[in-house]
Amino acid sequence: MGERITFAVAAAAALISAGLVITLKSAFRAAVSLIVTLISVAVLFLIQSAQFVAAIQVIVYAGAIVVLFLFVIAYLGERRVEETVDPLGRMHVFGWLTALGLGGFAALAIANSRLPGLRDDPRKVGNIGGPEAIGQTFLNHQLVAFEATSLVLLVAAVGAVVLAKRAGGAGVGR
Amino acid sequence: MTGVPPSLYLGVSVALFLLGLIGVMIRRNPLMLLLAVELLLNAANVALVGFSRYWGNTDGHIFALVVMVVAAAEVVVGLGLVVAVFRNRLRLDVDEMSTMKG
Repeated sequence: MGERITFAVAAAAALISAGLVITLKSAFRAAVSLIVTLISVAVLFLIQSAQFVAAIQVIVYAGAIVVLFLFVIAYLGERRVEETVDPLGRMHVFGWLTALGLGGFAALAIANSRLPGLRDDPRKVGNIGGPEAIGQTFLNHQLVAFEATSLVLLVAAVGAVVLAKRAGGAGVGR
Repeated sequence: MTGVPPSLYLGVSVALFLLGLIGVMIRRNPLMLLLAVELLLNAANVALVGFSRYWGNTDGHIFALVVMVVAAAEVVVGLGLVVAVFRNRLRLDVDEMSTMKG
């Protein structure tokens, strides 16, 4: 029963704040709303015995990525990032139709899935989400993914530095 | 019945993904686009962790962690681009960023 109540609260909070993220006009408020979404998703991870992923979600997402967002929003200034009037506003209907179609397909797929036990109580699982299990799997079975991860981060860091240097040299700002 | 069936987690994942998708399609500010992309990646993570518990192993968690790394890299490069565009053109609108020339 406890899992159901926690799930209902966390899922509702995640969906409501996600709706706010895409509707709020102010970028600053949208970013703060994204924090609520991320923490609710972390709660969803936690009740699925994914403790390590939940912790990383809070530290990396809510702690680093959103702070980076807020920093850039504060740097650019609230006034600069406001939305302008959309000349293609009529085309939004196609976006909604695509989303509706995709949602229908997904609901159909979940409803017709033949995976055993998908709509029953989840099985009891052992310690699959602790740091020990994560470390064992990463280093024993997924070592290539682990190394590729470091390469991705290196490339991103170099790319950010190159972008910052070029913008500083050619830009009008400074 | 005391737990939550995996299909409900998939439903939450689909709903989050759709919200992010709508956000990507109707917003025009590149910053808001990046925020919506974060929603998409998180929706995928919910599904991955849900299936990890369904199969009772850790592989989905590994995948979710890799997705988080990709999200961090994407945000770094994306925000770098936003700041570069802001410095060069002073107007943040994805419809105006249609040329690659600085």
